[in-house]
Amino acid sequence: MNKILEGKYAVTMDMYPLQGKEFNRIYPFYEFLKEGRLTTTACRDCGKKAFPPRVVCPECLSENLEWVDLPTRGKVLVVTEEEVGVPLGFETPLIHALIDLGGELTLFSRVVNVKQGELKEGDEVKLTVFPVDPVSVEGKKGAVNLQERVFFAFEKA
Amino acid sequence: MRNVCIIAGGQSQWGVRQATLRDMFQEAGKACFADNPAVTNKDIDGLIVGSAYTERCSFQTHLAPLVAEHLGIKPKSVCARVELLCATGSTGIIMAYGLIKSGLADVIMVIGGEKLYTPQRWEINFSELASVDHDWDGAMGLGLPPPIFAMVAKQHMKLYGTTEEQLAMVSVKNRRNGLNNRKGQFREEITLETALNARPIVRPLKLYDCCPVTDGAAAVILAVEDKARHLTDKPLVYIRGAGQASLHNMSANMANWTTWESLKIAAEQAYKTARVSPRDIDVAQTHDCFTISEIIEYEDLGFCEKGEGGYFIQEGRSDFGGQVPVNTDGGLLSCGHPFGATGIRQAIEIMRQLRGDAVRQVEGARIGLTHNLSGVIAAHTVVIYGRDLD
Ligand SMILES: [Zn+2]
Repeated sequence: MNKILEGKYAVTMDMYPLQGKEFNRIYPFYEFLKEGRLTTTACRDCGKKAFPPRVVCPECLSENLEWVDLPTRGKVLVVTEEEVGVPLGFETPLIHALIDLGGELTLFSRVVNVKQGELKEGDEVKLTVFPVDPVSVEGKKGAVNLQERVFFAFEKA
Repeated sequence: MRNVCIIAGGQSQWGVRQATLRDMFQEAGKACFADNPAVTNKDIDGLIVGSAYTERCSFQTHLAPLVAEHLGIKPKSVCARVELLCATGSTGIIMAYGLIKSGLADVIMVIGGEKLYTPQRWEINFSELASVDHDWDGAMGLGLPPPIFAMVAKQHMKLYGTTEEQLAMVSVKNRRNGLNNRKGQFREEITLETALNARPIVRPLKLYDCCPVTDGAAAVILAVEDKARHLTDKPLVYIRGAGQASLHNMSANMANWTTWESLKIAAEQAYKTARVSPRDIDVAQTHDCFTISEIIEYEDLGFCEKGEGGYFIQEGRSDFGGQVPVNTDGGLLSCGHPFGATGIRQAIEIMRQLRGDAVRQVEGARIGLTHNLSGVIAAHTVVIYGRDLD
């Protein structure tokens, strides 16, 4: 172990995004997520709804965007169960599903609270939001502030 | 317009290497010059270096001048690094092709490499979270690609009746093709039974359906035709055309999992610029990161009809003696897959096939194709080579 790095944490190697408004212009996504809402941005000029959320419309390049809700319940189209090679920080087996969110969006999402073999095509699933490890952010005069974070997955409805 | 030739190619040993990234770049550079003693490091005016994980696994940026210094190359037209994850190598080749064609450069070495085995094995899987859209797909744990390609395989099997046996046949063929490739990671034949009974990674994909993690490097030299004539005494091999296309990056924006639309666009562009059709291809190296990938590539490259990829392998049409031998050097499944080097390895094999000095030679091959895919099946890169210009 390199002594210089003792007690340090390399945030640039973290598997979750930086979510605070000091670091990310789409921070409202994570604020909404904490309220149980799955959202994205839609363009007020051309109507394009894009996922993931943006700061510029990928269709007409307008910055005139608004936050809109996406369905939080969906239907499982296909299931995969990863038995080998799961990245650190995720459970084995790591279960994913292609989820149809009411025809608005098809997400390839992690599905939690389910055992191998339990999740089937056609199952109803719902959004679940959970805290993930906070990141430490340097403040003034050496202060270290912990920034809370959340992320989402789906679970059986 | 100026014509561009590929005049030399070589690679380091691939596998789990007791070597640094820069060690392997030196090995690949030396092997490339050894392939064609008529060209030396003093003849190179441009250098393009490819590596995807150089920052993560070797803590090193600004790679091109470092490689130039180590290989005694003094670039004056271009000295830069390219990155497109798994298709980094063929991207470097397209860039060099364009620079030479335009007259900005005459003789360019394209060299790519990857050091993936670090002292702590968990770092490999963890670093993969940077390969997908980190903030969205990465946070879902979609780092290593098996879940993505298992999702593809499940849907292809359901839609077209492709079987696990047909998947396994790809891996049996490519392992057989790689048997005498002494620079490859695996040189052991496997049987259909071994492949079918192997441990599952993400069902229906089992161990031999997946390419391994690999350390390695590879290099080629491209030259403008009039210089190429003086810099090699081997038959000239031309780059005839190329295409590179992307329609999405994040998994949520992949419109069709079983027909790779951006592959079709890249292929169409490559066929058009090369003025050939899929039926003209004598030999191909396609991106067999998983067995299902090669099956879909037969279809979307136009070697067979959509949905018939499983039968294409089953009937031996991608094997020696078939319609178009695919992955004649063993492919990713046999050689391994150091991201930055794979596209270059494919180009070396096609160059050898067209020169007529491949380890497993396709008799009389005059037109060859390479296909590289990258990310969440997010970009496709196709290059067409020929012994002739028309
Ligand atoms: Zn718009």
